[in-house]
Amino acid sequence: MAVELVKGNDALLRGAVLAGCRTFYGYPITPSSEIAESAAALLPQLGGTFVQSECEVGAIQMVYGAASAGERVMTASSSPGISLKLEGVSYLVGSELPAVIIDIMRGGPGLGNIAPAQGDYFQVVKGGGHGDYRLIVLAPNSPQEMCDLAMLAFELADRYRNPVVVLSDGFTGQMMEAVEFPVPVTSIPPKDWAVRATPETSGNLINSIRLMPEDLEEHVTALFEKYASIEAAEVRYEEVQTADAELVVVGYGIVSRLLRAALARVRDQGLRVGMLRPITLWPYPSQRLAELAETASGFLVAELSTGQMVEDVRLAVNGRRPVAFHGRYGGAVPSVDELVKAIEAAYPAEGRSA
Amino acid sequence: MSQVMIKELVPRRELVDPGHLACPGCGAPLAMRLVLKELGEKTIVVLPACCWSIIAGPYPQSSLHVPLYHTAFETAAAVASGIRAALDVRGDTDTTVMAWAGDGGTFDIGLQALSGAAERNEDFLYVCYDNEAYMNTGIQRSSATPWGAWTTTTPRSQPQGTKKKDILSIMAAHRIPYAATACVSYPADLLEKVRKAKSIRGTRFLHILSPCPPGWKFSDEQSIEMGRKAVQNRIFPLMEVEDGIRWRFTMETDGDRVEPYIKAQGRFRHLTDEDMVRIQDEVNARWEYLERMVASSP
Repeated sequence: MAVELVKGNDALLRGAVLAGCRTFYGYPITPSSEIAESAAALLPQLGGTFVQSECEVGAIQMVYGAASAGERVMTASSSPGISLKLEGVSYLVGSELPAVIIDIMRGGPGLGNIAPAQGDYFQVVKGGGHGDYRLIVLAPNSPQEMCDLAMLAFELADRYRNPVVVLSDGFTGQMMEAVEFPVPVTSIPPKDWAVRATPETSGNLINSIRLMPEDLEEHVTALFEKYASIEAAEVRYEEVQTADAELVVVGYGIVSRLLRAALARVRDQGLRVGMLRPITLWPYPSQRLAELAETASGFLVAELSTGQMVEDVRLAVNGRRPVAFHGRYGGAVPSVDELVKAIEAAYPAEGRSA
Repeated sequence: MSQVMIKELVPRRELVDPGHLACPGCGAPLAMRLVLKELGEKTIVVLPACCWSIIAGPYPQSSLHVPLYHTAFETAAAVASGIRAALDVRGDTDTTVMAWAGDGGTFDIGLQALSGAAERNEDFLYVCYDNEAYMNTGIQRSSATPWGAWTTTTPRSQPQGTKKKDILSIMAAHRIPYAATACVSYPADLLEKVRKAKSIRGTRFLHILSPCPPGWKFSDEQSIEMGRKAVQNRIFPLMEVEDGIRWRFTMETDGDRVEPYIKAQGRFRHLTDEDMVRIQDEVNARWEYLERMVASSP
């Protein structure tokens, strides 16, 4: 396969196409608009559908319609646009519809700015929409992963009949790197639950209304049994030099790239520091973090927020080790120097003497 | 036309500073400058996401000498309704609330809030400065983009395939007291309409064509000429509608051919001679419709 220099947002859309997605509904917003622009350029040529909707709510509900018919379908937006879509996301979950939603995060709250941020962890990973539900959330840290995780997103969405979010940031979306595009998916498993106005599907029902409390409770219980199976099978993460680590740094997306550079520096200074990078933000690598709490003496979490994912690290570590935090926000990004200092400050005293 | 002194026509006060952040040749700051000259300092501007979110400049640096509210994309008319209500409660009836939105925030995502406010006949002026696409996010189509135009989401292989939404008729259908079109290329007509709108209570709607050099693909110095052409070839007729029923042209036009206008803009570069005929036919048909509306007005 040839290697190409590609922008993260474009790599993501091409990954979606390789996964068999031919249907895109979206609305312009910086810094995610290139995904829609790529879809507008590519999908009609492949016999697919690109629609620029009249608003974000329209886009996610068009996704609902296409997903009901069994199409591999996606939408893409950025933070305030995702906030608008969350009602639709809850409906997708309630009706167990597979769909892929891209969030190229920018600075908030409010209008904020268009600079890269990770302030959407709560609204995407912890819910945001109404009701009890989980979304599978994938966090790429390079244009290559924008492509690969977009492909994985469609596979997981179909397998579990649940929306999947690719949660990225303005940096990863906008930067260009070498990407090796995989071979296209050639067979998509049939969706016998879909509604296509055919005799075979006329008995199917796409629905999220369950008026009787017992019925709804049963439905949500079934959803959470499904989520338990996802937690058992789909946790993904990357570990770097954790075997002897006194301090484990945790960061996702673009922050993991910065942490990796800082890691090289502090290792040269003789500090035993490793990194755990969650690739799935839900299901979260909690169990692996709990194991690392047995061997490491401390943790440091870095995010482009005031501290959102750090709560999941603290839950996993469960008070056994100190969990320090270093956050930049509002579109600001930590320098490697700054992260080195944060690592030095968080490095456990017993680690130094050992 | 009788002779008019410019200094009598255009108020001297300047409520928009130079040094704003618009692109060279942009029609949008000119539109704001003219409108605020007429409305004066007792004006509150309500601004959803649009090019003007940037043009206004980051606080505390502002290119405007009037208060400015940045709002969510879909909410200009709703926020303006709230501000109006608050001013009324405080007994301030002489401050003008002006929602100032682009075509995306008006024709597309903001239409629901605008329709609701117009139905309630909220007492504000709503100005849509129309540059015919989402220019601030990088030239994506809107429902104000003309048929056949290139944008980044309507590539040349698949150019805009629908007609521009008739927002004036939509607003007139709400039976609001005043709805009008204007263009920065005709400041006297624009100022007269703002003056009239200011004197009326209830929902007033002004649709201003605002040529965009980078989005339409023409050179910076041609903005005023583009606006003039669009008016003279009847692509963008200057008119007003009172109470949704009294339609009136405010400017005589020669009915020039559309072709020189279309050919002067890179966004239409891919269009064929057949496309040109189609656009001309469409413009003629809409003009006849408008003439019927004017002729049947009480």
